[in-house]
Amino acid sequence: MGELLVGTRKGLFVLRKPRGGGGKGAFEIAARAFPGEVVEFAMRDRRSGRYLAGVTHGQFGPHLFYADDPTGAWQQAEGPAFPTSLNAAVERIWVIEPGVGDGELWCGVAPAALFRSGDGGKTWALVQALWDVPERAQWNPGAGGMCLNAICPWPGDRNRLAVSISAGGVWLTDDGGNSWRRGVKGLVPRYLPEEARADTHAHCVHHIERAPQQPSTLYMQFHGGVYRSDDAGESWIDIGTDRGLPSDFGFPLAIDVHDPNRAFVIPLTSDMDRVTPGGKVRVYETRDRGGSWRALEEGLPQSKAYLTVLRQAFCTDGANPLGLYFGVQSGEVFGSADGGRSWRTIAARLPPVVSMRCA
Amino acid sequence: MPRVILTGSIQQHVGGLGAVEIGGDTAGAVVSALEAAYPPLRGWVVDERGTLRRHVKLFLRGRAVGLDAVLGHDDELHIVAAISGG
Repeated sequence: MGELLVGTRKGLFVLRKPRGGGGKGAFEIAARAFPGEVVEFAMRDRRSGRYLAGVTHGQFGPHLFYADDPTGAWQQAEGPAFPTSLNAAVERIWVIEPGVGDGELWCGVAPAALFRSGDGGKTWALVQALWDVPERAQWNPGAGGMCLNAICPWPGDRNRLAVSISAGGVWLTDDGGNSWRRGVKGLVPRYLPEEARADTHAHCVHHIERAPQQPSTLYMQFHGGVYRSDDAGESWIDIGTDRGLPSDFGFPLAIDVHDPNRAFVIPLTSDMDRVTPGGKVRVYETRDRGGSWRALEEGLPQSKAYLTVLRQAFCTDGANPLGLYFGVQSGEVFGSADGGRSWRTIAARLPPVVSMRCA
Repeated sequence: MPRVILTGSIQQHVGGLGAVEIGGDTAGAVVSALEAAYPPLRGWVVDERGTLRRHVKLFLRGRAVGLDAVLGHDDELHIVAAISGG
């Protein structure tokens, strides 16, 4: 629909293509909501048309809002909030994902927990079984807090779900969230001493995406490593080493919803230097399930550009040809309408971009 | 009955009011009563554990106080956004 939801450190920016076209790829700021507040994540549920946003107020904490028109008034949802008996409090809303059932939505928060809504996001309830897994005691928060940062439903099957936690690994359910098991086989946490890797539960998964046309295929950006799973997240294969990437460190990852062999990453230099390598901004694409990667750079800054891209700040529009968009901490938004072949700056001088989704 | 004075950014959750008279013999009881009367305020001043949010301050008779502060019938409790942020 030609609309982008850009969550920033200072509000939500709704970018739209002007009516009647305008320049190729041009967007304008149609609205700014939640001025001054951190919009950690914003998305549109394409089934209902409803918009949802996770917003953290500097003083008054995280809250979830919904609206039918993002340029109008937003309503506050009931939750997500932990039951009083757990003596826990939501610190940040990380991701909101449409489920499979009618009105079903999932929400990942810090401290790492999953909430479910059955009414389109108006009310939320904790998925208790994931909160109760005994391994939780051995999870470790990353720099951004201990977050449940990605949720991958299984198209057509409301019982199957994969979620990722930083740093707590991948967790899988086949029964709608009543029971969970880990899916970390093959992951190598190089940030730990070798002798500590086999027994750790602190797998720092930055992002995962499921290929909807082939749901057993998932891709992962790990904290040092890019991986693919061919068995629905049970085990993972290294696709980041010696295959054309300048670095296997990064945060976001995107896929082509029409092609399970195609994925995109935006590498950063390293764990200790989280900027685009060599001052060049490049998206890397694989068309062969990670067998090889090639740089997409036409129209992106190729010198003196030391940018940082966060995990939620990269998205596709699902169109054909595929539209790709990402926002950076220095306030630019870049977009491609031709599958990444060419790019243009579609917004500049915004506040630091935290999240990016195509409406 | 104690009177609660609310900072501007949360007045939207109490019907746009800047001040509300509400019963309660401690600051915590007053905040709970306020949440019960105005459900949209839930989660803004205290979190779901009932803990005062880190960057929210309560003032009573010119002093910063906690939720356990005892209120008199004619007291005014100020709910203020602390100086913080980026």
